[in-house]
Amino acid sequence: MPEYIEFNGIGKAYPGVQALKDISFRAGAGKVLALLGENGAGKSTLLKILSGDIQPDEGTIIIDGEEQKFAAPYHAISRGISVIYQDRQLVPGLNVIENIYSGDLPSTRLGLLRKDEMRRTTREIIDAFGLPIDPEELVGGLSVAYQQMVEIMKAYRRDSQIIAFDEPTAPLTDAEISILFRLIRKLRDDGKIVIYVSHRLAEIFQITDEIVVLKDGRLVKTMATPETDEAELIKAMVGRDIGDTYSRLSRNDKLGDVLLEVNNLVTDAVHDVSFTLRKGEIAGFAGLVGAGRTEVVRALFGADHILSGEIKINGKIHKAGSEKASIEQGIALCPEDRKEQGLIMWRSITDNICLPVLDKLKKLLFLDRKKSETLAEKAVERYSIKTPTLDKIVSELSGGNQQKVILGRWTSDLIDTKILILDEPTKGIDVGTKAEVYQMVCDFAKQGIGVIFISSELTEVINVADTIIVMHNGHITGTVKREDATEENVLALAMLD
Amino acid sequence: MEKKSFLKRLTQSKMFVLLLLYIAVAAFYTIISKGQYLYWVNIRNILSSMVITAYLTCGAVFLMISGNIDLSTAQVSTISGILMAQFLMKGFPWPLAILAVLAGAALVGFINAVLINEVKFQPFVATMAVSYMVQGGMLLLSHGAAVEVSNKYIVWLGTYRIAGQFPVNILFTFAIFTIYGVVLAKTKFGKKIYMVGGNPVAAKLSGINPKKVWYILFINNAVLGSVAGMLQAARLRSGSATGIAGGAFAGMTGAILGGVSFGGGSGGMGGAFVGLVLLNGFNSGLTLIGINPYWQTMASGALLLIALTFDYFNTKRLMRR
Repeated sequence: MPEYIEFNGIGKAYPGVQALKDISFRAGAGKVLALLGENGAGKSTLLKILSGDIQPDEGTIIIDGEEQKFAAPYHAISRGISVIYQDRQLVPGLNVIENIYSGDLPSTRLGLLRKDEMRRTTREIIDAFGLPIDPEELVGGLSVAYQQMVEIMKAYRRDSQIIAFDEPTAPLTDAEISILFRLIRKLRDDGKIVIYVSHRLAEIFQITDEIVVLKDGRLVKTMATPETDEAELIKAMVGRDIGDTYSRLSRNDKLGDVLLEVNNLVTDAVHDVSFTLRKGEIAGFAGLVGAGRTEVVRALFGADHILSGEIKINGKIHKAGSEKASIEQGIALCPEDRKEQGLIMWRSITDNICLPVLDKLKKLLFLDRKKSETLAEKAVERYSIKTPTLDKIVSELSGGNQQKVILGRWTSDLIDTKILILDEPTKGIDVGTKAEVYQMVCDFAKQGIGVIFISSELTEVINVADTIIVMHNGHITGTVKREDATEENVLALAMLD
Repeated sequence: MEKKSFLKRLTQSKMFVLLLLYIAVAAFYTIISKGQYLYWVNIRNILSSMVITAYLTCGAVFLMISGNIDLSTAQVSTISGILMAQFLMKGFPWPLAILAVLAGAALVGFINAVLINEVKFQPFVATMAVSYMVQGGMLLLSHGAAVEVSNKYIVWLGTYRIAGQFPVNILFTFAIFTIYGVVLAKTKFGKKIYMVGGNPVAAKLSGINPKKVWYILFINNAVLGSVAGMLQAARLRSGSATGIAGGAFAGMTGAILGGVSFGGGSGGMGGAFVGLVLLNGFNSGLTLIGINPYWQTMASGALLLIALTFDYFNTKRLMRR
C-alpha cells in the first residue's frame, strides 16, 4: 500500500505550446487532492502522464521513493494507477461483471471464464459500495452516473491504490453527485490516494483535503482546503499578467445599428436566451464547457431545432430552418471542432474555401476552376496561410492555418457575411497565431460584421469582445461590458451554482 | 502561388499507378503471346468485356465517393433484364418496356436512400436486405427460366457492330465514362459529392444538403444498374437469372481499383476506367495464353490486392512530402 505519489518537475511541450512546466507536488494516502485550473491549464495533460497515455519530456513520477516510468497505460495500471476519464472506457454491450473484469478476465486452464468467481466478487464490490446495481445488467443500459460507478468499481477491483477522476461530476445530477462523493469518501477512508480534477469550486470544498492550482501549465499554489476560500482560489486560477497582446489590438470603435436580435430562444439544450448584436460588435460568449454556448449558435444557424423564441436580422424575423437558409441571410458558422465539423480534411485548400459558394462559381454547366483558384488565392494572401500550393490538402496544414482556411471560406468576395460566428476559434493553435486571430476578429468588426466569439479561455474572451455574455447550464447568467469585465466577475457568473 | 504542372498532377494521380501496372501487364502478355495480345480481336474482347461493368462502376464510384455503398445493384441489374424481356414478350412497345423497368429501378434506389437517409440504417445492412428482396422478386418473376429477347431495336443496341467490326455498345461505354467523368470532375454537383463524402457534417454546415445528394446517387446507381441489366439481356438475346458476371462486387471492384476508398471523399472516374481496363486486360491475357479460366477469378482478387498495395505506397510517398 503506497504512502504517497510525487510529481517531480514534470514538463511537457507540444509544438508551439508548453503544456506543462516544472510541476512538483505530492499526494498522500487517505486524502483527496484537487487539481484545479481553467480550461487549458494543463490538468488533462497531467492526468494523461499519470495514466501512461503520454510521456513527460522532463521530470519524474515517484511512488514511495521509487521512480516510475510508464511507457503505456497498462504499465500504469499494473503499478496500481486508475484514471477515470469523462468519456468512460466501458464496453456498452457487455454486462457489469465483464466490464469490471475487462483487461484481466480470470480463466481456467482450459481458457474458460471463472464466471462464478467473477459474479461473486462483483456482487461483493457492489455491496461494499452499497449500490443498487444488478451485476448481470448491460452497461449500455445504465445511466451515465452508474456507468461512472462501474468505472470506480473497476478501479477498486484492480485494487488500484491511486485513483484519479477527470471532472467526474460534469454529466451528473445533484443526487448522483452525492452518491459519487460517498464512493470517493469510501476510497479515501480505505487509504487510497485520490486525485480529483475539477473546476467546480463548491465541490472542491466538499470533497477534497488539499488543492493544487494550475495555470497555463504551471503550478501556482498548493494549499490545504480548510485554510482557503473561493475568492483566493479564483485569484490563483486567473491571476495572470495580461500581456500587451490585447492592448495592441486595433479595435473597431463605432458600433452600428442592431443587426441581430434573439428573443427567448428555447431548444433542447438552451433555456430562454435573449441577446442583441450590433453591426461591428464583438459579442463574446463565456462559460464552462457544456454551458450551452455552442447550442445557442447552432440554433441560430439552423443546425438545431428551435422549440420557441424569435430571431430577427436587421429587424426582420428570420426563420432558422436550415443551414442553407441561414447562410443566405448572411450568417456564417466556424464550428468548434475544425476536423469533425469544419473542414473536409482530405480535400484541397481551394475546395474547402469554395464550399459554400459553389453556386456562384458555375460557368454554364461547369465549375469555373480559374475563379475558384483566384478566390482561394485571395484568402491565402489575405490571411497569410502558409502553404506551397492551393492544392495542398488541409489535413497537412497546421491548426492555425486550418482555422484561417475556414475564415477564408466565410469572408471571400462571393459571400456576404453579416454575422460571423466563431466557436472556439483559437482552440489548439499556438500563441502567435492566436494574436493574429484576435486582430482578424477586430478587423471583421471594423468592416461592420457582427461577430459572435465563443471561447472557454476567459482572458481571451473578456479582452477581445466588446460585450461578454456569460452562460451557465443553458441560461444566460449575465452580460458584462469589456470595461467592467474581470476574470473574477465573469468566472463567478459562469460557475453560478 | 506555385501551381502543379499537368505532368506532376498526372504522376501523382491514382490513375497513373494503374496505367504503369497495365503497361507492364500488357507488355508481358504481348511477349508471351508473340504479339497476339495487341491484335484487334483481342483488344475488342477486352473492351467488350467491360461494357456491362462500366455502368455498374460509374454508379458505384459516385456512391462510394459520397461515402455510401449499395449491395443491391447486381440484383437490380438482373431483375431489370428479366422484366424487360417479359414486358416485350407481353407486347409492350420497346421504349415503354425500358421506361417501365427504369422507373422500377429508380424506386428501388429511392427505397435504399430512404432507409439510409431517414431511417438511418447502415448502408451495408439496408442495401443487403433490399438485395435479398429484389432477388426474391426476380426468382418469383422468372421461376429461374430465361426469357427470350427478340425485339430488333433492342437486339441492335446490344449486338450491332459498326462496319461489322466495332460493337456499338463499346461506344456507349466510352460515352458513359466521359459523361460521368466530366460531371464528377468539372461540375458543382461533382464537387458536392466529394464534399459530402469527405465530411458530411462540414458540408451540411456549409449549406450543402447531404441527404439530397445521397437520394440522387442511390437512384442514379439503381438506374445505371438497370441499364446494365437490360443491355446484358440485349447482348445475350435473353433475360435470365444468371445475371451479371462478377455479381454484387463487379461495380465496386472497378471503383476500388480507381482509388475510391470505402471512407468516401476520394477517387475518380479516370482511375476507375483504367482500373477496369487493367482487370479485364489482365484476364483476357490469361485466356489468351491458355490459362484455366478458373484461375482468372483468383487472379482478379490478387490483382485487386496488388493494385491496392501499389496505391498504398504511392499515397504514403505523397504524404511524406
